[in-house]
Amino acid sequence: MSTRQQAESRRRTLFSLVAAAWALIVVLPVLWMTLMMFKPEAIMFARPPVWLFPPTLAHFDYVLAQGFVWNLVASLVIALISTLLVVLVGTPAAYAFARYPIRRRDDLLLFVLATRMAPPIALAIPFYLIYARVGLLDTYVGLIVAYLTFNLSFYVWVLWSFCRDLPVELEEAARTDGYPRAHVLLRVVLPLLRPGIIATAMLCFIFAWNEFLYAFLLGGKSMETLPVAVPKLITSQGVKWGELSVVGIVALLPVLLAVFLLQRHIVRGLTMGAVKG
Amino acid sequence: MYALSTRATATGAGWFPYALIAPAMLTLVIVALVPFVYTIYLSLHEMQFARVGDWAGLANYRALLGNARFWHSVWISTVFVALAVPLEFALGLLGALVLNQGVRCRSLIVPVLFVPTMMAPIVVAILWKVMLAGSWGLVSYNVLERFGILSDISVLASPALALYALVFIDVWQWTPFVMLALFAGLSSLPMAPYRAAAVDGATSVQMFRRLTIPLLMPLMAVIVLLRLIDAFKIFDTIFLLTAGGPGQATESLSLFTYKTVFDFWNLGTASATAVVIWIMFFVFSNAFYQLARRTLRAF
Repeated sequence: MSTRQQAESRRRTLFSLVAAAWALIVVLPVLWMTLMMFKPEAIMFARPPVWLFPPTLAHFDYVLAQGFVWNLVASLVIALISTLLVVLVGTPAAYAFARYPIRRRDDLLLFVLATRMAPPIALAIPFYLIYARVGLLDTYVGLIVAYLTFNLSFYVWVLWSFCRDLPVELEEAARTDGYPRAHVLLRVVLPLLRPGIIATAMLCFIFAWNEFLYAFLLGGKSMETLPVAVPKLITSQGVKWGELSVVGIVALLPVLLAVFLLQRHIVRGLTMGAVKG
Repeated sequence: MYALSTRATATGAGWFPYALIAPAMLTLVIVALVPFVYTIYLSLHEMQFARVGDWAGLANYRALLGNARFWHSVWISTVFVALAVPLEFALGLLGALVLNQGVRCRSLIVPVLFVPTMMAPIVVAILWKVMLAGSWGLVSYNVLERFGILSDISVLASPALALYALVFIDVWQWTPFVMLALFAGLSSLPMAPYRAAAVDGATSVQMFRRLTIPLLMPLMAVIVLLRLIDAFKIFDTIFLLTAGGPGQATESLSLFTYKTVFDFWNLGTASATAVVIWIMFFVFSNAFYQLARRTLRAF
């Protein structure tokens, strides 16, 4: 190796260490919370904070006894159904916006984007009042519908950007061969679009899984998602820190999975398709 | 290329594209436009709790603009955005430049950096309650107390410091996003201008100032705008960590709106606030759309 290559290699190692240290600092609170899941009550408040200890599973038992499994199920059901609906309704729309000259297309797309950008609190008020009137408060249907506001608009917008990347030649060839438009969409476009659909749908699932405000306002005793159930751990005997950590890590698991599977697509999703990632 | 492909597939499409968009657009009209119009209707009436009273004209809006607490919350939101967004941008740009130096193990480092950004607000709240807890939290003990800064103060309960703690948490959560978005932009820059500049003997600082910054400018504008929008509407994290307190020290615009409805049951003022916020965000969205389309040519 020449000295020039060696210098370049040293420089890369140095910057790699800086980046790794940066990532470690960012994720440190998560590591600390992971430790707290197993921390015995007796040393929870030790000063200075203790890093090594014999682990306990007591916090898990308490969380199970509090019925958090049902909150987990509610969260899963709502996130899954709302994501499925979004994919079903949103995919054809995203494709049509990318391929056909729709009248007032720009205005329609701006409406979709504005729906996504609107602050949830401004939407939550009319939702609450309308739901109170028609009896949709504290129901699964109510939350699933409410989640369409931010997820359907997000999905149409981001999948639209994936659709624009598809080469049009295959579709044209199929059309020339005499296949009807619907057939081309189902047999040619959908298979090509599958990675985009999966990535965008996973982001929608995460947004629904993470959502707090609507679940808090429109949910209720008989239908509490995981984020909303957390206050059960702030009891009159004080805050159950170990149990809080357990629930926090469980709520984080789907996110960790998505983050490792989606890598390239997250930037594209979070910038609403402005960065290809 | 785009115009061409549209024409090629579109000839004689007729009603087909409209059938494709109809379900999605109808759904969005029901879940977004109807609530919006309903809010405008409410904001123009006298409201006794949830009961709609007489036509009130613009009285609710006048009451809102004369409400000191509303202006206070606008101020808090502005301070929050003005501190958090520039910090996130500066640190994010720095981090993107570090990542761009051919860092090894990127497929491991990048996902780790995404964790805070994708995390649920409830998890952010639990994490930082724990980190900043009284005297035994990891940050409280090791940083704040050991060095004698702020002893015996819980940061989130201090009227003077709570807002800055929330800014810090937002910077922690969103800097990695800015960093990775800018890194994606850096990775996709064309190589040719850099080769030409290197041939002409330009230094790396010159290349950064004369090439990287101008080439990246549209993307930077889009990212800053996205962060402004998100930071301005922040609700969950503040609600869960301080609930706008102590006092009104962290009462952002979203929290003001929430409290006007669910603490004071003043639905007239709340609807007027919602309409004002809505119009504001429509302007933001339009700016994002134009910027991303015209300058970034992304859409």
